[in-house]
Amino acid sequence: MAGKEAKLPGTYLKGDEMYKLPGLVEHRPEAKYSFAAGQAVSRFLEGLKEGRILGKRCPRCGRVYVPPRSYCEYCFAPTGEWVEVSGEGEVNTAVVSYISTFRERLEEPEIVGVIRLYAPGYTGKEDEYEFPGLFHKLCGVTPEDVMSGRVIGMKVRPRWKPVERRIGSITDIECFEPAEG
Amino acid sequence: MVVARPNIHVKNRVAIVGAGLTLFRRRMLETPRELAWEAARMALEQAGLTLRDIDCVVIGSAPDAFDGVHMKGEYLADGAGGLGRPTVRVYVGGGTGVFVPIAAWWHVASGLCRSVLAVAEEKMSPAHPHPQGVFAYIWDPILERPLGPNLIWIFALEMRRYMYKCNVDKKTIAKVSVKNKRNALDHPAAQAAANITVEDVLKSEVLVWPVQRLDISPVSDGAGALVMVSENEARRVTDSPVWVEGVGWTLDNTHWYNRDLAYPRYVNYAARMAYKMAGIERPWKEIDVAEPYDPFDYKELHHIEGLMLARRCEAPKLLEEGWFERDGELPTSPSGGLLGVGNPIAAAGIMKVAEIFWQLRYEAGARQVKKPVHKGVAQAWGDLMQAGTVIVLGN
Amino acid sequence: MAWSMWWREPRRTYRFPGKMEVEKYVYTPGLHGLEAARALKEEGKFLGTRCGDTIYYPPTTLCPDYTEGELAEVKGPWRITAYTVVRETLEGERLEKPLVIAHIAPDDAVGGLIHYVDASPDEVYIGMEVEPVLKPKEERRGNPVLDITHFKPRRPETEE
Ligand SMILES: [Zn+2]
Repeated sequence: MAGKEAKLPGTYLKGDEMYKLPGLVEHRPEAKYSFAAGQAVSRFLEGLKEGRILGKRCPRCGRVYVPPRSYCEYCFAPTGEWVEVSGEGEVNTAVVSYISTFRERLEEPEIVGVIRLYAPGYTGKEDEYEFPGLFHKLCGVTPEDVMSGRVIGMKVRPRWKPVERRIGSITDIECFEPAEG
Repeated sequence: MVVARPNIHVKNRVAIVGAGLTLFRRRMLETPRELAWEAARMALEQAGLTLRDIDCVVIGSAPDAFDGVHMKGEYLADGAGGLGRPTVRVYVGGGTGVFVPIAAWWHVASGLCRSVLAVAEEKMSPAHPHPQGVFAYIWDPILERPLGPNLIWIFALEMRRYMYKCNVDKKTIAKVSVKNKRNALDHPAAQAAANITVEDVLKSEVLVWPVQRLDISPVSDGAGALVMVSENEARRVTDSPVWVEGVGWTLDNTHWYNRDLAYPRYVNYAARMAYKMAGIERPWKEIDVAEPYDPFDYKELHHIEGLMLARRCEAPKLLEEGWFERDGELPTSPSGGLLGVGNPIAAAGIMKVAEIFWQLRYEAGARQVKKPVHKGVAQAWGDLMQAGTVIVLGN
Repeated sequence: MAWSMWWREPRRTYRFPGKMEVEKYVYTPGLHGLEAARALKEEGKFLGTRCGDTIYYPPTTLCPDYTEGELAEVKGPWRITAYTVVRETLEGERLEKPLVIAHIAPDDAVGGLIHYVDASPDEVYIGMEVEPVLKPKEERRGNPVLDITHFKPRRPETEE
């Protein structure tokens, strides 16, 4: 039954065979949504507009959350004070994307990564398994830097959009770029 | 986080007595409920039972947005044999396929049901222009989606971190793809079986470096099913039941970029829960055959480490030594995995459990591993590097 | 708010728009569904799935006992088993002519279709005999809901 010779049910449709079937039904979902950012992230977004990166500290375990959460996931308690981080950090991982969201080929590859942010007096939990950080684009680095691994551990800082173009979005930071010196 | 301490005082031991699969293909004529029915019917037939012998039904299917049918559990109920029975649908993203037999296990172990039909189905082909569009909706709408991500980004980021942390190159990782696609040549459901070389993988289209075309499993339609029963029932219907010895599952948070992606903590916690229940203390010695989840080639190595079948960063070295081949010390993905057999999400996970079932019954034909087998483990992963589901089987 | 907050709360809660990034879904008719689609498109016939003495319509492929059924023609007559009258559009505008929507089942099968009935709300009743009005063959695509324009009352030619 389980061997290679087993005949399994299922009718494969090749190429555009499917589109020629009688009885085929098509439907367009047209579903639109409006997502609320919530208290903590809304304040975070306002901070971005002001050119600041804000997080929250849990008074019980000391975890620093960037982006901020209203509650500590581990202590299950409200997080307390807001903290501001400088925005400087290290590249934790980075990749080179040659495709768009819908898998179209990009003319210019895009480099994105995870940035582990420096927070005063906090290095992370569980042997640095958890840390404050952001997912963002990287600029001023080349695909070769990513492939060689040079970019990992690199010190970076945010490149802000000009103040008049900030709207309270993660894209108010244009990208993270190498910090000189 | 803490590892759950499972209460091992269960009312009934649970056995798997039958398994069924449909073909895995890019697009199929059958409706989702017909696919579920074909797989379930085959599992019943193999168990020598009929639908009348079934007390309860557990259904698993990943996002509704692939099939384009809401309330997929209810929709699939008749095809999955659930009409007029206590029926439930479970869902933990890509982890669903292994979560279905886990949920079926607690139905039987609790004494609530004597026999359960566990059915997993996925039809990804309805979503147009490409199922990729559905995946866009797993990203956070506020902090991630404005960056215009493609699903592959997150895997590439994880793979890159793993490569860095463990100092492993793409050439080594590609060997997983080569192994699994070759193993799949012997699998009757396989969609992407092939004899390829490491060179082929490295020459395939670069999507999001380090991820290339042949590092990824294909999009598929398909279904799989298991019949799971209490010990008394099992003794009645078969001489070769396969016992569920341990189950484990864990969910981490959605803030994947606040965690070190080099190691799958959520898989490790689930594994430790399952091993504890199974009384396994040294999984790297006690497990004979494994089906770690492999939607991407590096993921198999990543999960082998999470499952403690190798030390951290040791899996690539063992792979190079042939450790994970069918005739190796610890064969992994002898089925051909998702890379070779295909990836109809929930169905792919249950295919892995079915493979361990067949291996432990010595029924896997050309896929049968060389060494004698007593215990096997199957695992799936899901969501934003979050969900780990693990099941340990023994004969 | 109970916990200390030396920084102010946000002035507003930000909202972000989103759209389901699926252009469309394409649903295949399935095994018996495909045969039924062909029969409807080519011959204007209705096929269901026969399990023992019972025919299920629309075709289900599988039977309640989990075996595969056989294709069988459903001939009717069709009868209204439940109906509702729609007098307003979704936007709340009064319809000039109320719409009668009914569940219509063939006498010789279990199941049925939801469809429009071309009848006035005063004359429609449960048990009323109706018949499907099909689009011309060249416009039919094999789906009963799309290929039937509506059901019309079957007026008795002779008094019973
Ligand atoms: Zn805390």
